[in-house]
Order: sequence, then C-alpha cells, then structure tokens
Amino acid sequence: MAGKKLSGAEIVVEELKKEGVEVAFGIPGGALLDFYEALQQAEEIRHILMRHEQCAAHAADGYARVSGRTGVCIATSGPGATNLITGLTNANMDSSPVVALTGQVPTSAIGSNAFQEASTFTITMPITKHNFLVTRAEDLPRVIHNAFYIANTGRKGVVLVDLPKDVQASKVEVELHPEETFPGYKPNINPNKVQTKKAAEALANAERPLILAGGGVISAGATEELRTLAETLGAGVVTTLMGKGAIPESHPLCLGMAGMHGRIYANRALNECDALLALGTRFSDRLTGWQLDQFAPDATLIQVDVDAAEINKNIPVDIPIVGDVKLALSDILKWLKKESIREGSVWLQRVKEMHSACEECIKDIHRPGSSVSDILIKELNNILDDDTIITTEVGQCQMFAAHYYMTKKPRTFISSGGLGTMGFGFPAAIGAKVAAPDKQVVDIAGDGSFLMTCHDLATCVENDIPVVVCIFDNRYLGMVRQWQELFFDKRYSHTNLGITPDFIKLGEAFGCYAERVEKPEDLKSALKNAFESGKPAVLDMIVGKEDKVLPMIPPGGGITGMIGTERCRRV
Amino acid sequence: MQTRVISLLVEDNPGVLTRMSGMFTMRGINISSLTVSPCEKPGLSRMTVTIEASESELEKVRKQLSNLIEVIKVVDLKEHDAIIRDLCLMKVHTKNVEARTEVMQLAESYGAKIADASLDSLILELADEPERIDRFIELMKHFGIKQLFRTGITAIARD
Repeated sequence: MAGKKLSGAEIVVEELKKEGVEVAFGIPGGALLDFYEALQQAEEIRHILMRHEQCAAHAADGYARVSGRTGVCIATSGPGATNLITGLTNANMDSSPVVALTGQVPTSAIGSNAFQEASTFTITMPITKHNFLVTRAEDLPRVIHNAFYIANTGRKGVVLVDLPKDVQASKVEVELHPEETFPGYKPNINPNKVQTKKAAEALANAERPLILAGGGVISAGATEELRTLAETLGAGVVTTLMGKGAIPESHPLCLGMAGMHGRIYANRALNECDALLALGTRFSDRLTGWQLDQFAPDATLIQVDVDAAEINKNIPVDIPIVGDVKLALSDILKWLKKESIREGSVWLQRVKEMHSACEECIKDIHRPGSSVSDILIKELNNILDDDTIITTEVGQCQMFAAHYYMTKKPRTFISSGGLGTMGFGFPAAIGAKVAAPDKQVVDIAGDGSFLMTCHDLATCVENDIPVVVCIFDNRYLGMVRQWQELFFDKRYSHTNLGITPDFIKLGEAFGCYAERVEKPEDLKSALKNAFESGKPAVLDMIVGKEDKVLPMIPPGGGITGMIGTERCRRV
Repeated sequence: MQTRVISLLVEDNPGVLTRMSGMFTMRGINISSLTVSPCEKPGLSRMTVTIEASESELEKVRKQLSNLIEVIKVVDLKEHDAIIRDLCLMKVHTKNVEARTEVMQLAESYGAKIADASLDSLILELADEPERIDRFIELMKHFGIKQLFRTGITAIARD
C-alpha cells in the first residue's frame, strides 16, 4: 500500500483495522478531532461513546477478559488521559491486554503547559507494559503494530500510544502493516524440557499433589490441559481470584478459591499438600496470607509463569518453569508415565471429601448463620446458567461472589484482582456484553462501588447494552465496615453511606429497568423481569447492614488461621 | 547490602532513562552512579548503573529491567570479572611552591594528568578504579579541593 499519502489519523485507523479491532470504547476531545474524523469513516470499527474515560478503560479491559482479544480504549489529552489511569492500572495489574490511544497537544506545544496538556507518556510509564509518544506520523505503522503485539503476547498487559494532534493531521507516505518488532521484546513462551521433566517427576512422586491455578491458566487457554493433568495425577485444584473458572468449580477435584477470603478447604489443601504446581499466579498477599511459613510448608513448589520476573518474587520456588502455561502443562503431561500415577490414593479421597463439604455448604442455601448476602449469591448459582458472565465490583460483594458463586467456565468470572478497583464491575460488564452479546452479563455490585461509575448507565441505554447490575445494598462501604467491626472495635469511621440515592429512581432516570429485591426469594423473578425487559437493569437487593464475608484470614494471619469458620463442616 | 554494578544495553529512545530509573525508584533503591553513552551498535546505548542492594533485590530488579521493551540486555557485573573505571576531575589549591610541587608529585605517582594550571590551583584528571580515585581524593583534601567532578562508573566485562 505504499505510494499513497495518508494522515497520521488515517494510518492509525488502517492499522487498527488490520489488527482486527471491531470495537473501541472512548470519548473524543479537542486533541482527537482528526482521529475521530478518520474513525468515523471506518465502518468495520464500532465505537462506543462512554461517559467517563475510566469506564472506557474498564470496558476495554472487560472486553479483553471475556474475548481474549485486545481491548481498545480512547481518550483525549490532559483530563481524558488522566481519567484513564485507574482503568489502565487495573488492566495492567491483572495482565489484561488493552491498547489505549490518547490525544496529545501538538508536538510544538508539548511541555508548554498548553490547554489540556498532561505528560501522559511520563504518567503512564509505571502503569503500562509499554507506552509510546509518537512524534512522527511515519512511525505510526510500526508503533500500532507493536502496541498490539506487545499487549497480547507474553505476559499480557496495557500499551498506551500518545498521539499529538499535529502527528494525527500530518500527511505522509508510508508502508502500512509492517511486521518488524523490537529487539528487546522476546517473550519466553517455550518451557525448558529439563524443568518440565523435573516437575512431572516431583508430581508423580508426591503423595498429596495440588495445583494452584491462577489467571495465567485462563489467559493461556490452558483449562483443558489443567483438567487433564488434575485427573491424571489425582491432584486437587485450588484457584486464585483471577483463576476462578480455570476449572469448573463443580468438578470433584476443585476446592475453589484459596486465600484471605477463600474457601477453608482450599486453604487447608494448600497447607497439607506435599507438591504444589502453581500456574500463572504471582502469589499475591491476598492468596498467601502474611505468615508465609504456613503456606504450603511441606510442598515441593513448582512455579510456571510466562514472566520470569514472577519466579521467586514472593515465594521461594523449588522448580521454576518460565513459559506459557499451556505448553508447560502439555510437556508435563507428556513426561508423566502411566505407571507413575497412583489411583485411589488417600489424598484423592480427602480432596473429594473436602469438595463435597464445600458444595454442601454452598447448596444448602439457608444454612444456620447464613447472611442475606450469602443467600443471594447461592440463589444466583441456581438461577443463572453456566454461560452467564459475572463481573464484580470490589469489596464484600466481590468476596461473597468469589467465595460462593460456582463458576463453571473460563472467562465468565471477571473481577478486579490486583488493583481492587471499586467501580470496575459495571463498566467491565459493558465490555463483557459487547464481547459476548448472546450471553447474560450480571454485575455483582455494592452500593458504594456502583455509585463510582453508574453514570455509564447512559452508555448502556444509548448503545443497547443490556447488562444487569445486582446491587448488594447495605448503605455501607461494607468491607471497610467489616474490618472496623472486627479489628477496630466497631468504630465505624466514615463507612456509613446514609440513605441516598434511591437506586430504582436512579435506574429509571437513565431509562433502565429497575426493581427492588427486598427478600432473597424475590431475586429469581426480579432477574427474570430484568432479562425479559431487554433493557439494562438495576436490581436493588436489600442485604443485612452488618453482613460479613466469612471465613477470612485476619490481617497478619496465615493461611491456616482463618476466623469465622463455625459454619464450615469439619473434614 | 552490597555495591552492585549493572550494565544495560538499551535502545537510544527518549524516555528509556526514566523507565529504567523508575524500576529502582519504585523499590526505593538509590542509584549511586549512572553513566549513559552510545556504544558500538548504532541506535543503542549502554548504561552502567551502580546501586546498593541485597542479592534478592538485585535479582528482582534485574528481571524487571529485562522485561522493559527497550532494554535489550542486562548484565550483572561482578567486580572480579569486570574492568571498572571512573573519571575524576578536580581543582586543587596550590597556594605556594611547596604545595604545588607536592601535588604534582602525588599526581604523577597516581598517574593523574595535569589538565590545566593557574597560579593558585591545578586541575587534575584521573581515570582509574573508583577505590584508587577515592584514595587520591583523600590525599588531595590535605591541600584543599576547590571543586570535584566524577563521571560515575563505567565498566566492561572480561572475556
């Protein structure tokens, strides 16, 4: 396509099309007029006009997590770009592939404190996998190509491209669609055979093997391999928050999420195992607790991660494997000899017993001591189908969902893990619904979180994106209140949200379907009404003001030191 | 804690230095010396970074530096298998003939050059291992150092 003069903006759009971008979430602005002019000409790309740039970033992130494709968000210079920051940090911390395009003042004005100028390039350096400030339109084909390549390979993440106004406007003759990459970027995806053999031997020789599945399993598309390996070894599987969905939680070998708000059996299994295969997880403090000597103390620890910087970072590892999780699991499976597998082991029985105890607790909706919040999530297990995509806000609602919701398929549980961003779930649901329009999308929200990004109900209504927001309405910043109750002697400092707003009127003001759920038994019909309305919907679910997410590891505690375990059956 | 010298081969782009130094900043590690210059490959630069860090901190930083897209190579230079040099320029008081003669003799014994001279001071230039420069500076303090400049460490690994 050489020989034709294109503007910088047209080059960007041509490259987006070549990358297969079908949707972008953004808000235009003065520094993006040329880009938006070119974007409008591109019928292949659906642009969804958001109401806040943070939501644009979260929507792109949600889209990426559901589809596996790179999400794209767009914001103008200055405040547009700074509003993106939370969303981009969130996506990058959870290794979600997102490309952000930002407008910038003309190159001649950069550094002059021009109107709507912020140094986006400098500000976003520590929160992105990579970023570019493009100063010549000729560089655009290579930059855009590499932005997508870097975002969605290796350990996935965010790449931002800052586009000065004059670079968008200038017309140049360039070769489109280059293949050239950067000499310093070579993701290590092929695992070392010696290491995978060692891992296979350690697992085969273990009496109590356990697999810890992180978000990397889902990102690498390794869920089949994970299941096969677990079944072959008779190993239990526990997940991180990001790994929820890596294996169906109804699978008899799955013990669910481990960690601070994890299931007690998952934590117990971590403490008891003698070989632990950690896949695509960074051992965050929310998983390990703070007493690291209680974390898998007897286990030979095998860690597989595509990012070498994660190996040995938080936990010392016995057998490190740098590479793609899917490839590593295939190799381990190849090395495993039939005769090395123990069948019907004591451990296998124990794992299955712990699984049943857990399932029993979740199925028994009205278990003594259950809170309204527990019951609502347990009800969702019965009402929603396996394909439904759950997104969550952050706090109690998120941990109720992570603990009690039985995720059956990968990419159907979307939550803010690393950054813990209140306000994430709803815009992420928008991205999720755009990625999977045929699936039901439900945001499990808290009243505190939802108010942080609820303005994008307008986006849902205007663009016909019918997501359902289920608000756990306790009029508290619930998780902080819970900590104040448990660890600050009920001194509720600034966690009481008062009585506003009326979420029904709020939903209706935007043109949404809205209904109040006073009792958990009304949830089923309310959800039915919401889905049947075909509109975006807000369900205001009244929960106990002092409901608590339990059990939990208290601050400073280790993985065996959970409190609030009275309701869990001893096994 | 120990002094560590890291050598980086990087793309010569605006922002690379910020990206690199950001890796140390976010860990609260101070860079005690830094040199950046073009190298034998066009379009690439070499950085030599000196930090105080523990073995495990160094390992984490080294891996994260390698993750930077514009960083092509990271080498942890061990003192025994690298040639390490620093360049020092200093202006020393020479108030009288005795001082002047003594400074010139000491400079000669250290292999320092006299880069410039005025009636009451000498500018000395010494390129050497940082420890030898430290010792030379200590000596010159007796005469009075008006100004002192050091480039910071640059280093090359032996084959």
